[in-house]
Amino acid sequence: MNNILKELSFNFNSQFDGFALSIKQTLPTKGITGIFGHSGSGKSTLLRLISGLENSTTGQLSLNGNVLFDSNHKLNIKPEKRRIGLVFQDSRLFPHLNVQQNLAYAHKRCLHKQLNINDIIDLTQLKPLLHKKVTLLSGGEKQRVAIARAVLSEPELLLLDEPLSALDNQNKALMITLLLDVQRTLNIPMLYVSHSLAELQQIADNLLVMKQGNIEHFGPIHPIIHALNNTKETLQQTSLSLIVKEHLPEYGLTSLQLTTDIVIYLPLQSNTTVANDKTLTPKKIRCYIAASDISISRHEATDSSIVNHFQAKILDIQPQNNTVLITLTCAEQVFYSSISLWSAERLSLSLHDLVYIQFKASAVHSLADIGEL
Amino acid sequence: MIENSLFENSDLIALFTTLKMALVTTVILMVIGTPLAWYLAKMKSRFKIAIEAIVALPIVLPPTVLGFYLLIAFSPQHLPGQLWQSITGQQLAFSFSAIVIGSIFYSLPFVVQPLQKAFEQLGDDVLEAGAMLGANSLDRFFTIVLPITKASFITAASLGFAHTVGEFGIVLMIGGNISGETKVLSIALFEHVEAFNYAKAHLLAGSLLVGSFVVLGLIYLLNYSKPTTVHTKNEVNN
Repeated sequence: MNNILKELSFNFNSQFDGFALSIKQTLPTKGITGIFGHSGSGKSTLLRLISGLENSTTGQLSLNGNVLFDSNHKLNIKPEKRRIGLVFQDSRLFPHLNVQQNLAYAHKRCLHKQLNINDIIDLTQLKPLLHKKVTLLSGGEKQRVAIARAVLSEPELLLLDEPLSALDNQNKALMITLLLDVQRTLNIPMLYVSHSLAELQQIADNLLVMKQGNIEHFGPIHPIIHALNNTKETLQQTSLSLIVKEHLPEYGLTSLQLTTDIVIYLPLQSNTTVANDKTLTPKKIRCYIAASDISISRHEATDSSIVNHFQAKILDIQPQNNTVLITLTCAEQVFYSSISLWSAERLSLSLHDLVYIQFKASAVHSLADIGEL
Repeated sequence: MIENSLFENSDLIALFTTLKMALVTTVILMVIGTPLAWYLAKMKSRFKIAIEAIVALPIVLPPTVLGFYLLIAFSPQHLPGQLWQSITGQQLAFSFSAIVIGSIFYSLPFVVQPLQKAFEQLGDDVLEAGAMLGANSLDRFFTIVLPITKASFITAASLGFAHTVGEFGIVLMIGGNISGETKVLSIALFEHVEAFNYAKAHLLAGSLLVGSFVVLGLIYLLNYSKPTTVHTKNEVNN
């Protein structure tokens, strides 16, 4: 009987100083949707328009069937009435309140109060910090409080505006694990803005790419990341999401299942902050391999120290100045290899050729390496 | 008993009139000064500078100039005075109400400026955070703005009160010297000096000096122990 559309629909046309925004899109309000773009692409402005903090626009906005903004009908629901949460880049905790009081501030103003504040404190591991002044917290702790506080307002949609950009690599990995836990446990749809594709690769289910105030791409995360390989504006890479086969601590490796016969080795993940997914078994790991880290051979290098090598078929060859971007496929998984033009000519590569791709385990990056790019 | 005390009866009445005037003025100043300071802190209009200059005028203007114009405005021959008389049935000039209104103009910058500065420093960041947690504008004012800028409110109220207590020229111009109505401590002191009663003058002047010092000392003490913690836009997480 519940026919309410679970989607966010917006159509904004704004003109700011030296910057125009023109976007129209419908997004499903489930899982985590990443919004990627370089500085000045309009991604943070989009979040402010959705939240209602920015109103200088024309257009429409609706969330799950409720119209929140319509310039034609002069309708503009105030931010506090929209049931949309926002985690800011700089946490914006209230300096006159301690951690517990910051959390209580949100919980007190929540109309439904379906969440138990202690459950959220446990989920975000904030118990030891409850009585601390927020000015004494580290960057990672502040963002944990900010996320818990936003969750306690029980939003229909949670917006996150570069929430990890000020954190170090270790804290980034911990926070991504935490956010995935929060999302899966509470099932809160999230829009996650970042200029780090590596971060989004780890967390987002879908990806929306913005450029100069317009939407360039939208779709499932891995195909969109692969589509960006042709723009050369991001690191050319193969984006993967594979099931863990086994951990090999004696070798410091973890193997992922590509096919029944082929595994991909990467540095050991069992002791790192792999998403603590309680619902999905077996466990999946997201990882990426830079196109420049995958090499191509006509023969399988079985006597090489490189642990990952398997056969793949060439789908596409794109010359790019003095390099060549080669798209290959193995068991329906697409791989990207960037080699020199000289190597491509030397190997006489052509479409549909069967070749061997090879890459070291250390070339496969996962959560622990998130801040490197 | 009063005659035997340090202060003359008329001085005690002047003290009571002064405190009453300062208290009423401070309360009214906080009520009208807070939204005015907020407006000045947030407005981006070109008129902002003009309004700021008008608010700050009493700092540089001789009190007698302000008192002279207010005296003319309060007289029954001019609209404000006529309006007051038609509503209350009483003359405005040389009344307690007149010196309160004069004090409001005179002490306005001492209340508005510290609040405006605090509101400017506060920025919009924490207020936006409050809105995103479901707090409406009034809720945000009382639960975010007021606690964070508490020290500035204390400073504004204390300065407004202390400055009003020390008024002379403007009160003399629009209030005259009516005991129990418009005669305040500074005027009583002037009377003692004119009468060469330096002992009484010393007593009043010393009391005002010590009183002002205590008020300012308390402000600094409060601001020292509870500094205004402002979340600025430039805050960077470590």
